[in-house]
Amino acid sequence: MTREVFIVQVEREQEALRGFLLALCCGRKDDADDLAQDALVKAYLSSAGYQDKGKFRSWLFKIAYNTFLNHKASLRCVESIDEAKTLISSTNADSEFEHQDLYLALRTLPPKERSAITLFYLNGYNIKEIAAITDTSEDAVKKQLSRGRDKLREKLKL
Amino acid sequence: MTKDKALEELFLAQKPHFSDNADFMASLTKRLDAIEYLKQHQEATIRHYKMMMVIAFMVGIVSGAIAIAYVLSVPADVPLFTFKVQTGILLWLTENSRLIAATGLSLLMTIGIISIISNIQDILRMRVCLKA
Repeated sequence: MTREVFIVQVEREQEALRGFLLALCCGRKDDADDLAQDALVKAYLSSAGYQDKGKFRSWLFKIAYNTFLNHKASLRCVESIDEAKTLISSTNADSEFEHQDLYLALRTLPPKERSAITLFYLNGYNIKEIAAITDTSEDAVKKQLSRGRDKLREKLKL
Repeated sequence: MTKDKALEELFLAQKPHFSDNADFMASLTKRLDAIEYLKQHQEATIRHYKMMMVIAFMVGIVSGAIAIAYVLSVPADVPLFTFKVQTGILLWLTENSRLIAATGLSLLMTIGIISIISNIQDILRMRVCLKA
């Protein structure tokens, strides 16, 4: 894939990718954009081996998901809900979003459940596609979705 | 698995829209430019390494051939080199000039082979870095 083709494809997909990472980062836009940039650089470096089968977005999401997990692993800290509230009320949070409660609730989920829920509800992927992106089995994705959904319903009092 | 309607609506309602897409792409393009620059620099370094290796190889072949030709062309009973001053150690060197020349050539060849292998390893390592 040439640089020009890569940029054209990224221009088309970047909003979805940033939205996905924004949800994974629980509304912290700067973190999400940094991760998106890192993921896109990784994608560019491995784009020579990419075979276009019309699944460019899934491929990007897979790289973004791994970048997010690596980032989480490097932080190695558990953040509490109170900390999340502070973060979201600060300038780091995206003030344009009205549904901060959703981000707060998402923050309580483990990264894998958060990813599965986001891919399923925000990006509209089915279980098979989520399993491919997150490199897990379909059963594992079903469990993550089920647990994540229950926790979210409880937190959001739906 | 069926979707939870309330959750789905909540997610769809909060679907973000970014107003800074152009800035994001400009920042990404800058990063890609930097990567391209580094890639080109590394490729140039690899080319330079390869050229140096070929030159070293050619110089080694030519000088080795000249040295061997000289050793073979000199009669066996005539020393390869002599010294004007005749002291004990210089006399010993003169007497063993063929052995010393052969040892020197072997050492040069060994160093040359090690250097070529090390250069090839460097090039392979750089290629792996470029692909990663």
